[in-house]
Amino acid sequence: MNQNGSTPSPSSEEPLLSVRDVKKHFPIRDGVMQRVTGQVRAVDGVSFDLMRGSTLGLVGESGCGKTTLGRLVAGLTDPTEGGVYFDGGRVDELQGDARRTYRRNCQMVFQDSFSSLNPRHLVKDLVGRPLKVYKEASGTELTERVVDLLESVGLGRQHLYRYPHQFSGGQRQRISIARALALDPAMVVLDEPTSALDVSVQAQILNLLHDLQTDRGLTFLFITHDLSVVRHMAENIVVMYLGRVAESGGAESLFQQPLHPYSHALLQASPDVVGDGAGFKGLEGTVPDPARPPSGCRFHTRCAHATPNCGWEVDDVVRQLEDVPKVFDELVGVERSSAFDAELRFDNPAAAQGLATALGGMTIPNAMSAAMEPVVVKDSSVRVRFHEVPDVELTTRGPGREVACVLENFDPEKNGNPSASSAAP
Amino acid sequence: MLELTGTVLSNPTTVVGLVIIVALVGMAIFAPLLASPNTPDASQMPRDWGAIAVPPGSPDHILGTTNTGGDVFYGVVWGSRASLRLSLLVVSITVTIGVIVGSIAGFVGGRVDEILMRLVDVFLSIPELIFALAIAAVLGPSFRNIILALAIVFWVKYARIMRGQVITVKQNDYVDAARVVGDSRFGIFRKDVLPNSITPIVVQATMDMGSIVLVGATLSFIGLAEAGLAEWGVLVAEGQAGISSGRWWASTFPGMMVFLWALGFNLVGDGLRDVIDPRTETAR
Amino acid sequence: MTATQNRGGQSDEQAGLPPSVIASVKDLRVHFKSKAGTVHAVDGVDFDIHDGETLGLVGETGCGKSVTARSFLQLVPSPPALPTQGSIIYRPRDGAPIDLTSIDRERLGEIRGNRIAMIFQDPGKALNPALSIRNQLVEVFLIHRTDEVLQRAGISLDESGAGSTMLRRAAGLRSRRIEKIALGMPGLREKRNAIIAASNELVEAALFDTQIPNPANVMDRYPHELSGGMKQRVMIAQALACNPDLLIADEPTTALDVTVQARIIELIKELQVRRKTSVLYISHDLSLVRRVCDRIAVMYAGRIAEIGPADQIFHDPQHPYTRGLLAAIPSSESKRGQLDAIEGSVPELINPAPGCRFASRCRHATDICRTQNPELHVLDGTREVACFIHHNGDAPNPPSFAEATDKRAAE
Repeated sequence: MNQNGSTPSPSSEEPLLSVRDVKKHFPIRDGVMQRVTGQVRAVDGVSFDLMRGSTLGLVGESGCGKTTLGRLVAGLTDPTEGGVYFDGGRVDELQGDARRTYRRNCQMVFQDSFSSLNPRHLVKDLVGRPLKVYKEASGTELTERVVDLLESVGLGRQHLYRYPHQFSGGQRQRISIARALALDPAMVVLDEPTSALDVSVQAQILNLLHDLQTDRGLTFLFITHDLSVVRHMAENIVVMYLGRVAESGGAESLFQQPLHPYSHALLQASPDVVGDGAGFKGLEGTVPDPARPPSGCRFHTRCAHATPNCGWEVDDVVRQLEDVPKVFDELVGVERSSAFDAELRFDNPAAAQGLATALGGMTIPNAMSAAMEPVVVKDSSVRVRFHEVPDVELTTRGPGREVACVLENFDPEKNGNPSASSAAP
Repeated sequence: MLELTGTVLSNPTTVVGLVIIVALVGMAIFAPLLASPNTPDASQMPRDWGAIAVPPGSPDHILGTTNTGGDVFYGVVWGSRASLRLSLLVVSITVTIGVIVGSIAGFVGGRVDEILMRLVDVFLSIPELIFALAIAAVLGPSFRNIILALAIVFWVKYARIMRGQVITVKQNDYVDAARVVGDSRFGIFRKDVLPNSITPIVVQATMDMGSIVLVGATLSFIGLAEAGLAEWGVLVAEGQAGISSGRWWASTFPGMMVFLWALGFNLVGDGLRDVIDPRTETAR
Repeated sequence: MTATQNRGGQSDEQAGLPPSVIASVKDLRVHFKSKAGTVHAVDGVDFDIHDGETLGLVGETGCGKSVTARSFLQLVPSPPALPTQGSIIYRPRDGAPIDLTSIDRERLGEIRGNRIAMIFQDPGKALNPALSIRNQLVEVFLIHRTDEVLQRAGISLDESGAGSTMLRRAAGLRSRRIEKIALGMPGLREKRNAIIAASNELVEAALFDTQIPNPANVMDRYPHELSGGMKQRVMIAQALACNPDLLIADEPTTALDVTVQARIIELIKELQVRRKTSVLYISHDLSLVRRVCDRIAVMYAGRIAEIGPADQIFHDPQHPYTRGLLAAIPSSESKRGQLDAIEGSVPELINPAPGCRFASRCRHATDICRTQNPELHVLDGTREVACFIHHNGDAPNPPSFAEATDKRAAE
């Protein structure tokens, strides 16, 4: 994992696929003329390498951009900036044979096996389709190769002439896997392959995936929100939050000692992974709007360990106080000089004073107060300024570990999750 | 497919519709046997000037004659041929155009979609019947021009349905799966999008087989077809003058045929929709 | 026992309900008609919900847990469902026991939402998108707690007759234009304002209770403007508005992110303890249920496999299916590629074969399992297990799981 796109990370082995500072922004259109009024930053500068024969787990909650990233890697959508590199070439610029080689080598399994199998195609046509497209086989040979593929995923000849709806969820996912393997790809993007399945069936599919990986030397990009699954399957893990990488590293070391408060919170919230999860009360607030992501560390708005250097900004005034009654009722306008400096104009001096009071109140986290310069109230306007801080960069912490957090030594116990510390005797 | 046929047939109203359709289409096919033509142009009504306004039941003219000596039975039988030709031609032309336009708009999307759909909006903003009437009037009175007019009017409906379907189907993961597998855009359209979007078109086309005859008959009734054509609308118009003086038959029989034709296709269309469309589906 | 015997009165069995039990499911059977045959979705389910406890109902897709839950409020659509057999006896805190499977619509209406409330997996679908949050909740108060609203508004009860619908709409800010004019008249206007104020207070308090920050602001929003977690809170507020005796939660956190899920679970737990509501918590996730529930019932293919205290079920499961379910969850110890999956899949529920439903996938199955249906059998006082390993006919001391497995392996 390297921030600098031009020099690949020095390693004993060349990565099979590299993602370099990839961004994917979706325009928000509005009005009759469909003018672009903003950008949803689904993926906002992510880099990682996929080593041959290994599994990389991509973890995060809904809206963190992990699925978009999977689609970028599979070539289903092109990045707005940055690039996905396969075999030395940039995927979105590949032409002719190079593109075909990449296509064959990068397959995908989707979460919803109902939607990812054409309901009008027989299993034979579904699994045999890649072979037909690449004119690899036809006639009896095609049938035999499909049978081989079906057998490798635990199905058989008797399933050739059935439709997807005649199978259970687990069996349909097996069909999807067989299709993905038809062209003998080097890597497979697995987008929540077991999320729609029951645990007992999930275990079957996870075992199958592992067996296939060892037999065929496959490389997996395993996208999931389920930490127990990713810990089981992946050697390396990338934790994403709001379009960015929060933390990455080896699965075991990351699970043993998460270095980012968000990874820590995720782990705490998964009862299968750490103890019984008692004591963890969940995260405050909601994920901020990806069209207007927070400055600095994107997690600072919900972080229990936030410091004054985490990127507190004018928007945080609204984020923190919007739940307090009446504060913004008489707001008439905001004049911003930067994300960190703005003047909020109110209808009357009393309302302005009200905001100033609220900013000194209990709902404002200590870290935010510390980052804020003294509030200036002039007539009916309030000037709010914060210390400007740069974005948080991923920094290396130990072998293979990279963390995007201003805390040099994150210690969940010491810095104290407020709810956890109050529960402690 | 067998299962589908079975489900269609389990609905009694659909069966009634099917029986009506089979009878009417059979009548169209065997028209020369049921009522042999005695003029060089079989689509023209034969005139028996010796038997004007004969009531139904007479041995030569079982359904009677019009006040210009046209045999009502001949008109009813050969009218089914005209109707079959009309509806088949109009439906096949409109479905083809509509499916192509709708598919392009939905599948390509973006600016192409925008332009095509504005065009469709223009067509849709004019009432069907009046639009068809205007076109047929401009082209001149003939049955062929009625077909043309209806084709110009009716394709937009299919384009709209098809576009919506394609856009919905396009969002399915199996379309993405086919892209990952490396199939071409056309291959994806042909194998994944088209087969999964076409069913509502089939239902609509079945229904329109009926309603197009209704509109066609209306146009020929007001005189946009050649005079003397063996066609239900023309025949109704011909018999219309006699109704007030008690000669009901010349208008009633062809009118009933139009009604039956529309009913038959509507019943079958409804039955098809119940089977195909899961939203109107009852307990399975 | 048939439904007719129960109808409208107290049978012996109802009277015999132990005082600590608030609801008792007895031999519940819900079957569905399908083209291929009768689907035995719920096929003889027995369990009790004790007063003030949280009972978890756990099982995989299609095991019948949701159908069981929905049967409490007659929410299973019929057809395709055939008439429910068996009974669900519910005893209100003040009143005679009622069989929920056979009471008429009118009495059910009094219970539904008032005494027994339900929250669903997808709050987005359960909330009406066209109503503001205020109106979703006002509805509940006006239907079930009319007296309280009127009392708060200082309106005496007897005069509410004529203008009641009008005032009711006014409370939800949904008056028609003509009513607005009428309500603008002095006298009526005061009443209207008093009712609006009273209902607002109640709604605000209900939202506040589910830890929604700034309820006054949330009240005037519409469901689509809220996040999933917030919508679930609104649903909970709505469900608890009438202080129900029993809350049925059908996978309430499945659609939410894990970090939000933790908060919702805490909330349900906290409200349950404070209000002493009994909760029936349905989920597919055993490790999650364990955090919320006092007792857990594990369902498989329409029947209860095992029921007992949460910790016991989790740490020392006695039914082979529960064991399999727990072993299938990947843990730090499980080796990659060697997860203990339960082989095979759930059996057909269409005209199912006799015997234990799990027999086809069970590695301990013997002949008796394939021919006879194991009944729930009390094991060490606190839990019940439906497995022949634990009660082989009349054997006085059922062997422990390990012993039984060893013995069977030896045979």
